[in-house]
Amino acid sequence: MNPRPYVEVTDLKKVFDVSKPWLNRVLEQSPKQYLKAVDGVSFDIKKGETFALVGESGSGKSTVAKMVVGLLGVSGGEVTIDGVSMTDKNQAAQRAKLRRRMQMIFQDPFASLNPRWRVDRIIAEPIRAFSVVEGEAEIVARVGELLTLVGLHPDDGRKFPHEFSGGQRQRVAIARALASNSDFIVCDEPTSALDVSVQAQILNLMRDLQEKFGLTYLFISHNLAVVRHMATRIGVMYLGRLVEVSEAKDMFTNPRHPYTRMLLDAVPDLAMSGRQRIPVAGEIPNPITPPSGCTFHPRCPLANERCVVEAPRSIDGVACHAVVEGRKLVIPAAA
Amino acid sequence: MNEPVISVRNLQVEFVTRRATLRAIDGVSFDIARGEVLGVVGESGAGKSVTGAAIIGLIEPPGRISGGEIVLNGRRIDNLPPDEMRKIRGRKVAMIFQDPLTSLNPLFRVGEQLIETIRTHLPMNERQARNRAIELLTEVGIPAPEKRIDGYPHEFSGGMRQRVVIALALCAEPDFIVADEPTTALDVSVQAQIISLIKKLGRERGMAVMLVTHDMGVIAETADRVAVMYAGRIAEIGPVRDVVQRPLHPYAKGLMGAIPTLEASASRLVQIPGSMPRLSSIPTGCAFNPRCSEVFARCHVDRPAPLPVNGRRVACHLYDQTSAEIFSAEASR
Repeated sequence: MNPRPYVEVTDLKKVFDVSKPWLNRVLEQSPKQYLKAVDGVSFDIKKGETFALVGESGSGKSTVAKMVVGLLGVSGGEVTIDGVSMTDKNQAAQRAKLRRRMQMIFQDPFASLNPRWRVDRIIAEPIRAFSVVEGEAEIVARVGELLTLVGLHPDDGRKFPHEFSGGQRQRVAIARALASNSDFIVCDEPTSALDVSVQAQILNLMRDLQEKFGLTYLFISHNLAVVRHMATRIGVMYLGRLVEVSEAKDMFTNPRHPYTRMLLDAVPDLAMSGRQRIPVAGEIPNPITPPSGCTFHPRCPLANERCVVEAPRSIDGVACHAVVEGRKLVIPAAA
Repeated sequence: MNEPVISVRNLQVEFVTRRATLRAIDGVSFDIARGEVLGVVGESGAGKSVTGAAIIGLIEPPGRISGGEIVLNGRRIDNLPPDEMRKIRGRKVAMIFQDPLTSLNPLFRVGEQLIETIRTHLPMNERQARNRAIELLTEVGIPAPEKRIDGYPHEFSGGMRQRVVIALALCAEPDFIVADEPTTALDVSVQAQIISLIKKLGRERGMAVMLVTHDMGVIAETADRVAVMYAGRIAEIGPVRDVVQRPLHPYAKGLMGAIPTLEASASRLVQIPGSMPRLSSIPTGCAFNPRCSEVFARCHVDRPAPLPVNGRRVACHLYDQTSAEIFSAEASR
């Protein structure tokens, strides 16, 4: 076993400049405005596991995903994949070799496939780009193999993306992600655009492929039930910060951070077990002017003065003063 | 059970295209009583939104209601002239749409939109209407409504905007509300708030609510009864607890098994092969037959009628006594 985690993310930051245009700033004397989309996120992913990032819209989970694969530059912190830094300029040569091994699956299979290319050309693109196999006949054979692998027919390669349904298109995207023999796949909401019965097909396929090829997934989703089904470990994000990282099974039986608890309580109860739930209050605040201290304090049932002034640091996977101090939640008697 | 508020009988909706006439809704029947929430669930293309639009009279050409009837409080409304229908729409029946950003006019203050709607349907002056608008905003849980009434839609967050849309639907105290995917555009924590609001308002005001959604969890939380739709037909309809926990129709069974849950992490999800047929190529017999794991000969030729089974209606030959005999005869052969 390699003692070093496969992917290491340390104190990752991303700041977007959302200021008004220069002329407005001068005339209205308004200062520059910055949005901290990701603010000091650290986690690591072991080889062959699925690490999931969950959070509501605007929590910064997709921004983290983009920075991990290098689609977006970082404002601070470091990403290391298999010992190679993705942010260090001196390691460009090693990084180029690494590129082949990481791929991304996007949310919207209507937007992520070129509508003017036939599917076989789409899947062959990474094969040609990284010279995975040489020779036209070999490439055709490899594309057919990949299509079969994701549950399509090799003849489907002659079709255009619009001839497929949403689920089939997502299968094409998965085939493309596997084409370069990648072993690390970043999935950004891969099933959010799909119907439940199709979502089940895609999730099952992704798990089968993981077993078969020992893939490592970074799985981004807002759907806790999907995450529960897929993840080995889970990180919960809120306003650009990671508030809790736990083993998947612990997170659902014993959520520690108040936000995690709130998220779990907000999920509709399909089993209709009548479990006691804390009603959810408020919405995510504006990320340009986040609350002071712990950004969750205005919505937190456990917040006190300390939470208003001091941002909690992550201790044992949870960034919360209340958890560290052992404050207990008094659940109001059910009406 | 008292007289239903809305009663849909054998509804058919067709879309005429150059190539063919596509039947989006094919023989849908249900009733909704006062204070009751009927959940309508299905995947994209099942016809759930079209059903809602048909009831509220918003089917635009080339679409048309080609059969069946819709009765609201004992009065048939599907064949009314557009002028008559316009008086009912908003007054007796109202709709909540999926995207609160597109269902509010961005150029008008929230208050103006509410007051306009109130005065269209109720005999009130500007002042009375404004007071009523503030009352409505309070009722849907908007803090400081006296101030917020003069805000523009973009000044509200997604959840608050959806609350305004709900207030707009309540303006004229309708008897029946169609909520078409009211929480799909919202985050889970906000979704939970909107669900409980819709539920509470339905109970308190004794409205009949038709809740259209693809999210079974939302249905389980909100609805009293649920209709599972597939390819323009109702596969199964019954009390929500029965259908969610012990579905009978093979499609409903598959759908329930396909949903990942928080409770247990099953190693594999139930998988229904294939996908919903296109309207232009709905299979003969039972529309679900190419994907069904329990298919037998009769399913290919004979379209199943909804059969009463333990307080629900299920459109499946498996629950028909005569076909069960044929089935067992076939199996023993």
